[in-house]
Amino acid sequence: MPPVLKPTTTPVGTTMSSESSKKRKPKVIRSDGAPPEGKRNRSDTEQEGKYYSEEAEMDLRDPGRDYELYKYTCQELQRLMAEIQDLKSRGGKDVAIEIEERRIQSCVHFMTLKKLNRLAHIRLKKGRDQTHEAKQKVDAYHLQLQNLLYEVMHLQKEITKCLEFKSKHEEIDLVSLEEFYEEAPPDISKAEVTMGDPHQQTLARLDWELEQRKRLAEKYCECLSNKEKILKEIEVKKEYLSSLQPRLNSIMQASLPVQEYLFMPFDQAHKQYETARHLPPPLYVLFVQATAYGQACAHMKSSSQPPRQDKTLSVAIEGSVDEAKALFKPPEDSQDDESDSDAEEEQTTKRRRPTLGVQLDDKRKEMLKRHPLSVMLDLKCKDDSVLHLTFFYLMNLNIMTVKAKVTTATELITPISAGDLLSPDSVLSCLYPGDHGKKTPNPANQYQFDKVGILTLSDYVLELGHPYLWVQKLGGLHFPKEQPQQTVIADHSLSASHMETTMKLLKTRVQSRLALHKQFASLEHGIVPVTSDCQYLFPAKVVSRLVKWVTVAHEDYMELHFTKDIVDAGLAGDTNLYYMALVERGTAKLQAAVVLNPGYSSIPPIFQLCLNWKGEKTNSNDDNIRAMESEVNVCYKELCGPWPSHQLLTNQLQRLCVLLDVYLETESHDDSVEGPKEFPQEKMCLRLFRGPSRMKPFKYNHPQGFFSHR
Amino acid sequence: MERAVPLAVPLGQAEVFQALQRLHMTIFSQSVSPCGKFLAAGNNYGQIAIFSLSAALSSEAKEESKKPVVTFQAHDGPVYSMVSTDRHLLSAGDGEVKAWLWVEMLKKGCKELWCRQPPYRTSLEVPEINALLLVPKENSLILAGGDCQLHTMDLETGTFTRVLRGHTDYIHCLALRERSPEVLSGGEDGAVRLWDLRTAKEVQTIEVYKHEECSRPHNGRWIGCLATDSDWMVCGGGPALTLWHLRSSTPTTIFPMRAPQKHVTFYQDLILSAGQGRCVNQWQLSGELKAQVPGSSPGLLSLSLNQQPAAPECKVLTAAGNSCRVDVFTNLGYRAFSLSF
Repeated sequence: MPPVLKPTTTPVGTTMSSESSKKRKPKVIRSDGAPPEGKRNRSDTEQEGKYYSEEAEMDLRDPGRDYELYKYTCQELQRLMAEIQDLKSRGGKDVAIEIEERRIQSCVHFMTLKKLNRLAHIRLKKGRDQTHEAKQKVDAYHLQLQNLLYEVMHLQKEITKCLEFKSKHEEIDLVSLEEFYEEAPPDISKAEVTMGDPHQQTLARLDWELEQRKRLAEKYCECLSNKEKILKEIEVKKEYLSSLQPRLNSIMQASLPVQEYLFMPFDQAHKQYETARHLPPPLYVLFVQATAYGQACAHMKSSSQPPRQDKTLSVAIEGSVDEAKALFKPPEDSQDDESDSDAEEEQTTKRRRPTLGVQLDDKRKEMLKRHPLSVMLDLKCKDDSVLHLTFFYLMNLNIMTVKAKVTTATELITPISAGDLLSPDSVLSCLYPGDHGKKTPNPANQYQFDKVGILTLSDYVLELGHPYLWVQKLGGLHFPKEQPQQTVIADHSLSASHMETTMKLLKTRVQSRLALHKQFASLEHGIVPVTSDCQYLFPAKVVSRLVKWVTVAHEDYMELHFTKDIVDAGLAGDTNLYYMALVERGTAKLQAAVVLNPGYSSIPPIFQLCLNWKGEKTNSNDDNIRAMESEVNVCYKELCGPWPSHQLLTNQLQRLCVLLDVYLETESHDDSVEGPKEFPQEKMCLRLFRGPSRMKPFKYNHPQGFFSHR
Repeated sequence: MERAVPLAVPLGQAEVFQALQRLHMTIFSQSVSPCGKFLAAGNNYGQIAIFSLSAALSSEAKEESKKPVVTFQAHDGPVYSMVSTDRHLLSAGDGEVKAWLWVEMLKKGCKELWCRQPPYRTSLEVPEINALLLVPKENSLILAGGDCQLHTMDLETGTFTRVLRGHTDYIHCLALRERSPEVLSGGEDGAVRLWDLRTAKEVQTIEVYKHEECSRPHNGRWIGCLATDSDWMVCGGGPALTLWHLRSSTPTTIFPMRAPQKHVTFYQDLILSAGQGRCVNQWQLSGELKAQVPGSSPGLLSLSLNQQPAAPECKVLTAAGNSCRVDVFTNLGYRAFSLSF
């Protein structure tokens, strides 16, 4: 704002309305005010704004009176204005003077108003200054107050911090007070001081703690050194022991010949036990039970007879122990394997879809995998023939299989018809009734097979061995029939309960097979090898001769016209062995189809006959042929001979020859035919026929040597 | 569990043995109970089985009702012949005849009422009894068999009253002439003899094999079966099945059947016969073969007609022989089913 305007001229020269002058007042106030305007202008330039004359004046004047004055001046002005207007309107000559007069008066009033305006301005300014000053003071006070408050807060925080301070000693677990006073020496506890003062008391307790800890640390050090000493001692002793091992080994080595000499194979047994630890549970059960049974047998023998070194049952473990170890060692490996195989599966399915067959094949192989270890059981019979049984464990199927082999002391000449007798495939078939060893005994396997497309286990039996039920039982595996998914664990008691029976059965089986083998060798040459202790069963003179003994296939047997009854009765299963014998006397030819049950000799061979003499005669058209069959099949018990009746087959055949003799010799002579009878009666018979069905006297009475009816 | 397997071994053996026994079973004789509802059958192992005909013939018959109600060991040897009186079953086998009470037999573990042995001359072997015949008029029983003689036994006292001698070989069969107290017997010697019971003398002898019309030397001369109807007699065996007129001792009809016959009987105006072969043959008196009804056994030994008036619903023909089955013919036309041991 321009500090100085040219106000001096304006107020006088211009005629303005009061309102307009009022508006312009503020501008005028500072620039100029006082009536002595000229003087003031100079001072203004020198000391501008510093002081107005009215400032001092103002202090002396009362604002209220100024207001009265202002009101009065305004009224005067209004009156004058009105008078002027009045005069003007009247008009006249003298009016001008009067108007002039009155104009002067108005000017004075204007001057007063101006003065009053200035005063008001100054007053306002002064008031503002005062207010500002006061406000600043208040501000300063306020600031101070806030500082103080802040300080207070800070201090309070500090105080709480201090209050919350935790000393480390509080974490130390001190001994209880009573204990402290009891145990601590008085120079530490200072009961008289500390009793009253908890601080002192704590300090003392801390002292005591420190003391104790120092002592314990000392003890610890002592123990450490002790330990060190003992360790050193152990080290020394170990060294000594390890130096002992080779020496012991050498002693053992040296003792081996002695052991062998004395037949005490301790060493070997130990090695076996060591290996046995790596056997899978079923094989382990089998191993333990078989060993136990073998030892028990040896003991029984040695107690009743002079000690013999040949054990009837010997058990051994075969296979690579390392592989077995590798199977079981890292369980995480197997997981890896699984994931690997999964990954492989994915890969293979992705990569080589066309070779699905190969992949399935691999899977099958994996499923049928055997445990690398197997248990060998050698069962020795009285005639020095040995049954070698090798037991395997199929890990993924959880079943056991067995392979069998028979060796004899002397080389056997194998007759053609005896081919199947000792073959590993059939030698153990049906050891227990119905146990063919072709189906898996574990019902859970079927589901596994379905996955990889194995129809039945029987296709793999030759390679894997037979999973007979008794094998599972020897291994302690019991598979229930109704609950296919029950978990199966190897059980010792099951194995033990079956061991003896099974071993006996095995032995009988081998012996009977060997006996059959021997008999077949003679039979093939047309000799019925009746032993001397069975001779009493037959008359001295037997004219009918065995001329043929051949094996026939099961299917061929089924197709024979005279074997229908046996087939219908369900006695011609495919596990049996089938043979055809031909007995001849003169023009009469007797064919005999023989069913040899694997359970020979407890289950007898079954004969079906067909006689070609004066027409074909079988059991359906000749009662006596039927009676002959019944003589060998039903009355077989008379033909068993001494236990274990391995000679049964031979005796049955010889009996058949005798029966044919009787049949032919007692045939009634046809009077109308000329010439002598073809078969003159040589046998001594009480009666030729008997009963409604006209039976012939087939029964042989031993010491007297005559034939009678049954 | 431990015991299961040791037991299983003889079990397989026993099963095979049982199967063989059944396979070689022969049922020699049958007899219907006086009430007509039961049938007794005796086999070659000396067992007698009682079948319930009424149960097997009823509409709700099951498989089990074709099995015997009771089976028991009656004799040591085969049961060759059986007859029923109004209370007893008489069974005969090797050398002895036993009586059983029908009421008690259906219970288990029944014992014989009595056991008699005809007076045999001492011999190395005990002769068998092949035929039993009841003579209701004098309440006696005639036994015949291995010793070539007919023994009559008084059923009241159980004593053997008469011995009729004449046969030169063992006797197969007996038949009674209802009107006059005469008995016919046929034997291995090929003769049919007619005995007068009052005088205990042989009245008439027909040596069948000597008649060219019916003799068949390759089969032998034995007479295996015999039946009579007053003046008429039919017999068969080694010689062909022949109808005879007794008074004139001449063969009137020769039935063209090659296989030896083991049982023959008159039925109304037919003659039923059975023997070697599966069939029951029905003949007209004129010699025509009316029908051949096949049975289940390869050879038949006995026929039994259940004509007891007490059980008209059980009026059946049963046939048994070389198997463990008894075939039941509800009418003469076909085999309805088989009872089995």
